[in-house]
Amino acid sequence: MNAPLFPSILISCPCSDNVGQQRSRRSKTAAADPDLDQWEEEGETFDPRSPRSAFSLFPLENLLFCEDCNQVRCPRCVQDEIACYFCPSCLFEVPSSTVKSEGNRCTRNCFSCPICFAALAVTATGEDQTGPFILLCAHCLWSTSDIGITFEKPTSITAQLTAKLKAASLPPSNSLAPPESSHSRPLSPLSQGSSVYNFRPNSPIPPPAPTDEAEFARLKGYYHQQNTIASSDDFGGAGSLSRLMGMYSTGRRIGSYGTGNMPKLVKQKQEWQEIESYRVMDSEDEVIEKMKKAGFYGATSQSQRIIQSHQPRLLEDVRPLAALLRTKRAKRCRSCRHILVKPEQKVGSIRYRIRLVAGLDHNAVNYFSLQPLATHQFLLTVTNPLYDVINITLATPEKTPGKYPATVYILCPEFEVGASTDVWDEALGPEAKPKAKAAKGRKTGLAGTIWDSGRNWTSVILEIVPPHLPDDVELEEDDFIVKVPILVRSVYESDVDKDDGIGKDIKEKKEHSYWSVLEVGRIGKKVAGKVGFDDSASAGTGVAVNKALPPTPSGEPREREHRDREHRSSSRSHRESAGAAR
Amino acid sequence: MPPKQVKGEYIETDTGNKVSRKSNILGSQNIILGGKTIIQADCTIRGDLRRSGAPGQHGNVAIAVGRYCFFARSSVLRPPGKVSRGAFSFYPMKLGDHVFIGEGAVVEAAMVGSFVHIGAGAVIGKFAIIKDCVRIEEGTVVAPNTVIPPFSRVAGRPGVVVEELPETAQDSLELKGIYRMI
Repeated sequence: MNAPLFPSILISCPCSDNVGQQRSRRSKTAAADPDLDQWEEEGETFDPRSPRSAFSLFPLENLLFCEDCNQVRCPRCVQDEIACYFCPSCLFEVPSSTVKSEGNRCTRNCFSCPICFAALAVTATGEDQTGPFILLCAHCLWSTSDIGITFEKPTSITAQLTAKLKAASLPPSNSLAPPESSHSRPLSPLSQGSSVYNFRPNSPIPPPAPTDEAEFARLKGYYHQQNTIASSDDFGGAGSLSRLMGMYSTGRRIGSYGTGNMPKLVKQKQEWQEIESYRVMDSEDEVIEKMKKAGFYGATSQSQRIIQSHQPRLLEDVRPLAALLRTKRAKRCRSCRHILVKPEQKVGSIRYRIRLVAGLDHNAVNYFSLQPLATHQFLLTVTNPLYDVINITLATPEKTPGKYPATVYILCPEFEVGASTDVWDEALGPEAKPKAKAAKGRKTGLAGTIWDSGRNWTSVILEIVPPHLPDDVELEEDDFIVKVPILVRSVYESDVDKDDGIGKDIKEKKEHSYWSVLEVGRIGKKVAGKVGFDDSASAGTGVAVNKALPPTPSGEPREREHRDREHRSSSRSHRESAGAAR
Repeated sequence: MPPKQVKGEYIETDTGNKVSRKSNILGSQNIILGGKTIIQADCTIRGDLRRSGAPGQHGNVAIAVGRYCFFARSSVLRPPGKVSRGAFSFYPMKLGDHVFIGEGAVVEAAMVGSFVHIGAGAVIGKFAIIKDCVRIEEGTVVAPNTVIPPFSRVAGRPGVVVEELPETAQDSLELKGIYRMI
């Protein structure tokens, strides 16, 4: 969701099997390894650098959790169901029947600028707020008067605009050409009986080619008429559509074999025309000449061109863009069909009736440049949004995958995180349970002990020794980032939901595990003479994390201390936000 | 995040608002703060730009702010104004709860919903309407009269919706944590 800031945590969704766990070449060559069997049994570690991993890693906020499947659900393994359509500009809800008939654009006065895509506002050009009116962009000051369109009244702009564009697109001599006129167009060179496949018009003056809009309108009208004919002798609905389709396909077959009765062939005539008619492309010389004249600033940019339906080359041909509708969507689990998210029907409302989001929340310290071959200590905070105590087991490979592996060590891989109970418990915290806190041996930084813990969060130390990157080899940007795969396994007991009241105190043990990837930071340049291995080794046993950080050329120690304190307070504040997950 | 301030930097009101002594607040009688709002140093809040003429049914309120808002350093809040029926007039500005306004941002919106994050250096044009759960990235320029629907991420100049926010947006945009820090 946000710009990638370090450190960041991505969680892998197992919806596509074996993603990131493809056997790498390195482990294949290590076939002689005696513990290979065990290696296979355990399954391989997640490789965050595998090309396919990018498709299975998601930030926590984009994940949902299905309680029935007991699994994380990513945007790919949920199914969207549209709850309602609305216009993002006027925030009116559009009924789905209107969407079907009118298309997925707002039919009110919502337009955006074809030049800069900001919203257009209806503005009066006359005195005392009277007409004529124009659509004006308040950002780049483009207006519909630039393409010679003004409106008589400030309401129903869409209808006025379509009427004006229709009038402008049809030349006066050929205005409102009846659909029959297309019959006079040559069909195919074959039907004319000419032996030469000439795709250029024979006559010196080609008949004026209808614009795309006119052609579309003609076809739409024709098929609409066909549909009504078909449904008039049927009861309408899907039957008529299939009948219509069948009619076309059989008719075509009959026609191609040269048999069949006459009335049917007459019916097919129009379709035949569409199938076999061709369009002579306009000579591009004219457009090129126009573009030459208009120059760079008169031509549309690529983004301006492709967003328009008629893809104009020149700025004078652009049209205001009607606002595309947006949707509110409910989300279902693809495997068990349970609803995971159900928004309220109201457009403006941000409330959800049902919301099951993945809750486990990690938190870590600020970004800084990593020094090669120096020990860096990070605080990894696990916050528990559930109302039950969870036991967390963290596992990580000793060396991170990749060409230049970093060494990773979690000082306390197994720990307990308290339940997300009432906020009051923490307010009364120190007095309420002083024994438990004293027993935990806080902030010693020793192996096997946690760093700090609170009501529903626990912090442990993660030690990372980044590799030394060779100077003489050309490195990719990805090689500089330290990515640590961590297998998180959480075990908790929760009450079994039973309405009969019999199994009331039965607790169910639930286990859940997933791979996550911690992007710690970027490996910086080694500072000569400043960081040695002895130096970092002594720092590694340091008591406070901020002391254990190696000196960076730019960072001031005091400032870092500050950040660290701030971090911890922010992680504490997380209990509220993460608590909403259940 | 700003560092912890020296004691005495903020004046705390009965409802828990923390207003920097170095902030520049004009027409404070026309400003309503919902409570637990933080106004940092060098913020300018133009409460003096109120609707011209006699106080109407809405009273004299020029800027109404909800709870748990955070106005970072040197941000500017200015009620929007336009010429209507031949006379120039300002219109009241409403902000919801949990609105974050980044450093140096200029806001002239008519309405800002709840759980809105406005990044540093962003400019919100006159009479813009920003609905709930919206993240406006740093340096975005939102054109005047723009309406931004809920659950949108807005970026660019002019600001356009670039992405939909996930369902959890409300949790990540909450500002109770920041209030506790200061």
